[in-house]
Amino acid sequence: MKPIFQALNHAFFSELNDIKNSYYKLLLITTLPILSFALVIAMFYEGVASKLPITVVDNDKSELSRKLLFNINASSTVKIASTSLSLKDAIALVKSSKVYAVVVIPPHFQRDTLLKTQPKVRAMINTQYILIGKIITGALVETVAYSAAEVEFVEDLVLTQNSNLALHTISPIGLQITPFFNTYKNYFLFLVSALLPSIWQIFIVITTIVSFGTLFKAQKEREYFGNEYITTKIIGKLLPYTFVYTLMGIGFLFYIYGTLGWAFEGSFSVTIFGMFLTVIAYQIIALFLFVTGFDYARALSLGAVYTAPAFAFLGVTFPIYNMNSFALFWRDILPVSHYVELQISQANYGADVFLEIDKLLTIAAFFLLFIPVVMRFKSRLAS
Amino acid sequence: MKFLEVFSAEAKLIFSDVAIVLTIIGGVILYAFLYPQPYSSQSVSGLSVSFVDLDKSKVSREIAFKLNATPQINLTRYDMSEKDAKEALMRDEVNAIIVIPQNFSKDLTLNLSPVVAVGADSSYFLIYGAVLEGAMKSVLTQSAGIKVGKILISGTPMVGAKQAYTPYTLETINLFNKDNSYTQYVVPAVYIIILQQTMLIGLGILGGGINERLGRREKGHYESAPIWMMMSSRYIIFGFIFFTHMLFYFGFSFSFFDVTHIAKIADILNFGLAFITASIFFGIFLGSLFASREIATPVVLFSSLPLVFSVGFIWPLESMPTFIQNISQLVPSTPAMQGFLRLNQMGAEFVAILPQFSILWFQALIYVILGYYYINKNRKKYVTN
Repeated sequence: MKPIFQALNHAFFSELNDIKNSYYKLLLITTLPILSFALVIAMFYEGVASKLPITVVDNDKSELSRKLLFNINASSTVKIASTSLSLKDAIALVKSSKVYAVVVIPPHFQRDTLLKTQPKVRAMINTQYILIGKIITGALVETVAYSAAEVEFVEDLVLTQNSNLALHTISPIGLQITPFFNTYKNYFLFLVSALLPSIWQIFIVITTIVSFGTLFKAQKEREYFGNEYITTKIIGKLLPYTFVYTLMGIGFLFYIYGTLGWAFEGSFSVTIFGMFLTVIAYQIIALFLFVTGFDYARALSLGAVYTAPAFAFLGVTFPIYNMNSFALFWRDILPVSHYVELQISQANYGADVFLEIDKLLTIAAFFLLFIPVVMRFKSRLAS
Repeated sequence: MKFLEVFSAEAKLIFSDVAIVLTIIGGVILYAFLYPQPYSSQSVSGLSVSFVDLDKSKVSREIAFKLNATPQINLTRYDMSEKDAKEALMRDEVNAIIVIPQNFSKDLTLNLSPVVAVGADSSYFLIYGAVLEGAMKSVLTQSAGIKVGKILISGTPMVGAKQAYTPYTLETINLFNKDNSYTQYVVPAVYIIILQQTMLIGLGILGGGINERLGRREKGHYESAPIWMMMSSRYIIFGFIFFTHMLFYFGFSFSFFDVTHIAKIADILNFGLAFITASIFFGIFLGSLFASREIATPVVLFSSLPLVFSVGFIWPLESMPTFIQNISQLVPSTPAMQGFLRLNQMGAEFVAILPQFSILWFQALIYVILGYYYINKNRKKYVTN
């Protein structure tokens, strides 16, 4: 065997051996990531919010108001958890987060409806919780419109004796909403498919720093690297984790799109290739952070600053079109944002592979940092 | 050993450690600005939409005009076919597509209720929601206009016609965070998690470092100083630093990023003291469990995202497994975020957050005992008299 391969081989297997003997490293590549993934999956497993508690203030207590409240309670999204006597009581319930919204039916609701003076039902929604607020607003708007249409339909039917015409009078233009892609309108896919990569990238960076940090902390780096094949040994030491994290990535990809059965329109191989590049990019970045001072604990702090906020910058929860230039810059220097973009476009649209080349190249561009990393290693070991 | 001696020995351990100082001072200040960055424009607007007009009538042009007038929608492309528009969507040139079908205005006059199709990528829920909202608004006003027109033709006077187009209406009112600002939504909660996590990392590095030194049989005050003195020194030092941070976060940074201040200052300080006390003792306890300095950062880091989501302000608690809700109550950030959001963002009275306030003090008590127990245990393990 050529000495260069021998060096690679040796570095690779001695790292595997290290992993076997180190409680901590084993924890980092098995228990901790699996536990974090499982927690996130369990949290969003339901995917569709249902039976969100709201309260009602019925100032009319008529047949019509009861009918409307019945319809609201029958919707799958909200449930009427309590009836409040006054608006003040109801708002207090919202403030203590016992309910998310208050529906107020005005006095003389039924009379005014019959007199055609168009009474107003009010819904006060806790929009501090934006996502939950939007879900509830949507459900209430839909149910109230439906209930109102019911009333109107009956009236029109009496007038026209023609159900099609009656329907048309209620709403002359229909609105058909097609959620392209992620057609399930399920939050599980939306959040979890972006959360798992965000947690995954933290593990890649941390593990890389731990692997090199422990070596330097024990002051065994000279013994380990010697004077020859330093670059090869660095690569050999990284490789076991490259495999572990690529496999882990493939694991969650298949869990979401295979086991749970969400549609994956595009190419798994392109996505997995992108994932593989992402792992390498993060390993190199982690080393780059480490070589700034070869200080183990400090490198971990830098790794934390760099990886922890990633999820917010992905553009999945808040669109990139409304981000400022600093946020866009920070997003760009996180390989995971390019990876998640690739994953979404492959999973949802099955975009042409050629359209993905720029994303793959962007991820690969981080490899360039390997040059300063190697230079720093060499100068450190020579001194 | 005198208290002052122990205090200065603890202070020296803390401030001579670059990793700790970097985290509890540099990190805290950096994060205050980094985290709110994505949301600086606060809400979603001006999304580019492709308009596919297969009808090319007066009505379809009116709809286009109304769509463009909404803050959410910008018609940036006019495609000839749905296929072209879909391709533009895949190339990321537009965020959504709106299609007016052929014979739209003809069907309208024939009372056939033609349908406007709106397509958006629902992988990005906010974009999807914003496009939908804009489209709904403009199509509904167009629809209502037609309706009123028809009722007028049937001979009803204008006032009656306007009111008759639907028997009753729903007025939705946004309580708190009225403009659906993302900064208001995310920043207050995230600030609490940052304060806690940086504190835990700092105390974790410290505790782990002391355990390491004990293991190496290195001489130091941690071998013999009364444990209550060590714990109260840490409480004073970290308490002082993080109380200052808290004032900086909820004072300066909040007004810098235009985040609402509803709560009384005294209430915030009172609740904040409970939160900081609970977190410090939780951190001292965690630190006593770590065998080395470097364990704290990873452990704390991985817990951040699950902890933020376990609070229930992003995804409803009602749709989450109960065991996760229960476990998360063991960590100060969960009751702290729940209480703080109610107090300061939603204007709840202090009584309403008494449960959270009590949980925090209860945690503080438990972690004082656990921290004391484990520090004592570690010391006995290594220091032989």
